[in-house]
Amino acid sequence: MGKEYSLQELEKRILRCNRCGTCQDVCPTYRITGNENDVARSRVRLARLVLEGKYQWGEEEQLTANLNACLLCKACVAVCPANVPTDEIVMEARKYTQQRKGLPPFNRIAYRGVFSHNKRLALLTRVIRMYQKSGMNRVVQRSGFLKLLKDWGKAEDLLPPMPAQSLGQMLPDLLRPPASTTLRVVFFAGCAINFFYSRIGAASIRVLQANACQVAVPEVGCCGGPHQSGGDFSEAMRLAKGNIDRVLAQRPDVIVSDCATCSSVLKEYAALLGNDAEYGPRSAEFSAKVRDINELIVEKGWLRDLAPLAGRVSYHDPCHLARGQGITAAPRTILRSIPGLEMVEMREADMCCGGAGSYGALHPDMSRRILDRKMGNFKGTGATILATSCPSCAMQLEYGIRRHGLTASVMHPMELLALSCEKGRAPGAAAQTSGER
Amino acid sequence: MLSPHVQRELTRIFGEDDVLTSPISCEAYAYDSSPFFAQPEAVVLADSTEEIGQLMELATRHGIVVIARGAGTNLSGGCVPTHGGIVVAMSRMDRILEIDPVNETAWVEPGVTNMALQEAVAAHGYMFAPDPASLKVATIGGNVAECAGGMRGVKFGVTRDHLLALEVVMSDGEVVMLGEGGKYLPGIDVTGLFCGSEGTFGIITKIKVKLTPLAEAVRTMMAVFDSLDKAGDTVSAIIAKGIIPTTLEIMDQVLVRAVDDFLQLGLPREAEAILLIEVDGFAVEVDRQCETIVAICTRLGATRVSRANSEEERKNLWLARRSGNGALGRIKAAYMVQDVTVPRYKLPGMLRLVADIASKYGIVIAQMAHAGDGNLHPHLLYDPYDPDEKQRVEEAAKEIFHAALEEGGTLTGEHGIGIEKLDYMPWAFSQDDLEFMLLVKRALDPQMLLNRGKVLSFAMEES
Repeated sequence: MGKEYSLQELEKRILRCNRCGTCQDVCPTYRITGNENDVARSRVRLARLVLEGKYQWGEEEQLTANLNACLLCKACVAVCPANVPTDEIVMEARKYTQQRKGLPPFNRIAYRGVFSHNKRLALLTRVIRMYQKSGMNRVVQRSGFLKLLKDWGKAEDLLPPMPAQSLGQMLPDLLRPPASTTLRVVFFAGCAINFFYSRIGAASIRVLQANACQVAVPEVGCCGGPHQSGGDFSEAMRLAKGNIDRVLAQRPDVIVSDCATCSSVLKEYAALLGNDAEYGPRSAEFSAKVRDINELIVEKGWLRDLAPLAGRVSYHDPCHLARGQGITAAPRTILRSIPGLEMVEMREADMCCGGAGSYGALHPDMSRRILDRKMGNFKGTGATILATSCPSCAMQLEYGIRRHGLTASVMHPMELLALSCEKGRAPGAAAQTSGER
Repeated sequence: MLSPHVQRELTRIFGEDDVLTSPISCEAYAYDSSPFFAQPEAVVLADSTEEIGQLMELATRHGIVVIARGAGTNLSGGCVPTHGGIVVAMSRMDRILEIDPVNETAWVEPGVTNMALQEAVAAHGYMFAPDPASLKVATIGGNVAECAGGMRGVKFGVTRDHLLALEVVMSDGEVVMLGEGGKYLPGIDVTGLFCGSEGTFGIITKIKVKLTPLAEAVRTMMAVFDSLDKAGDTVSAIIAKGIIPTTLEIMDQVLVRAVDDFLQLGLPREAEAILLIEVDGFAVEVDRQCETIVAICTRLGATRVSRANSEEERKNLWLARRSGNGALGRIKAAYMVQDVTVPRYKLPGMLRLVADIASKYGIVIAQMAHAGDGNLHPHLLYDPYDPDEKQRVEEAAKEIFHAALEEGGTLTGEHGIGIEKLDYMPWAFSQDDLEFMLLVKRALDPQMLLNRGKVLSFAMEES
């Protein structure tokens, strides 16, 4: 993810694929279906056939569908001996497709229509919460109305319970200048954290403050990740510029996010806007300051005055953290530092969970089959806590836990660290490792 | 185009979701890792022997060509459907059916990857000796069909030497079991016929392989040379000393640099060639062998010999070797990789000859070789959009084939004839030899339905 290519640059990257087939070993969609239409080298091959003039972007429905079925998980990129950036090639393909065919309805409505505008997203969250709280969801589910919506109806299951307050609403109670400050931190509250998982955002802010960070949470727009993955680079650039202005105005030492997708996208603003006369240098300054929260905590060190938490935890690597940023050790180091918590690795911990942003809503069947494999691997550990560092993964994994009838809870490493840390400083206070909602 | 009746029958046999007929979905099965392309008329994703039996009955009734496909990692065009027809993908038949440590055997379905088998049997202290570079994805079915070799070939031989029994669907749909007696097989070795037949005799649906105990100790070394010649001579000297390493691989500078770009291992980028050498056996034995090998390398001019000090270092060295093919995509978009073999002692001369051919035609040839086996892997790199360069590569390829045969070698060690080497079959074999092969083919597949036009040219089949 990160930047647009010229057609020549795109062709050069596509031609690097000599179809050796190594991607079959890791491509989640291929591992699930065993159909070579669902493997990276075949997606790259289709892009090449378009460049060679055999097909046109958007003209063949199935060609578009095959390219849209890519999760952009980068698993193939990590093992490709020729470093073919299949994820970037697919995003470019989506861009050209929509240049000819216009934005698909989902991208137009959900991304440009809602995620680009905080107020609309806030409103939508409230409406969904009302729908879930009123019991109307159960009425609608029983009515069979969702079945009429086909795949779109299936998206309803995916939604986590909406929190009573967004992170923005929680801030007045949350922000406490620490006694001594070592770092000025801007906490980038991504859409999913702000509206769906404010509990994670709150935990992250508490951990930062407990570790001598002065935290500011300016109002920001969507990082632009969803837009880019749909190939909508122009909107992604507009959003990036707005975020750079708002965040840099705070003069932070560090820009941190607890959403793997946000931090990976923010780190690549420099590449996205590299050629922009006005924003080029500022985007470089911005991106250089961005850290994933696990990365930052491990880099600066954290208070080890931690109380034991009981339970067994297993960690799922988000694609945007493991491969997007090469961060796999930091969250594990943090989890292992919590006394009492037993850390068990699951098989294929770094295989995509099938969530992939809106993938679960747009490709419900494939997404669920990938999720089932992930849940099978999780069950094998006997853990009761499934930790992950990305709200989009959390949403999918919570759905998986409901779908498989498990009693485990999904938690961000920062939630566990905050719990352990606060319990440690308030002796006698009963804290539970699971069930804090 | 398949008739609507045949399409309906395919749907009946395999189910609607497992029959692909649209041009776009067929594109994914129009290629392998070689530079050849051709669209099939349909693709079916098989789940069972019964389905394949019914498919072959249907194909025989209607005279339709059928091509079995594993992971599609062939390097000679073996599973490219040049004569159209139906590709049957074996990727879903990927169960390990039985591991029998007492008898040192395993039964597997053809879609099991070589790596999956290695991992499963390693738990019992065994390995499956053939280990092609593509082992992470290449399937056992493909290994048998192509008679795959690998790095351990120098010590353990090729797939043929580790194959015990097969279940095969014949061209008319009959399901037969071959060689069930295991190691001690009376009668004619019909099983052996299918190994390396490139899917032209039948469709393999179950495979019984021989397992090899894992050695107690392994030592891995890398020797660095400032000339390809010296590295080649060292290979001959090691073999002449009576040492048979588990692997003895050579990589030239082009390849070392390409894989180092990928893996960033700090490989010796200035070296003209490196040797990767592994010995296995009992701990006392391997250390002595190591010393002898280090002494030979040093005597013949290695600038450095280093040992892998940890399992991770060892794994990285082999990952580097296995990534060779793919990594070359960094240099040029296409390559033709040959796997000519020559008698071991002629390896140094042949490496030199290939280098001379490269400069004669002004092309880049990246060389690696299962050196201990005399099995060369010259990668002739080219730009697919440059017809002139492609032409020169083809000329050079011809010259290499010719030279290998002149030296008493063969066209292929492990990649098969496929499409790539069809034209050279008459150089390697007499008319009588070819006609005898055709006789066998006709006996097993009278309508020439199975992987038509591979190994033996279709023009010849027709006559």
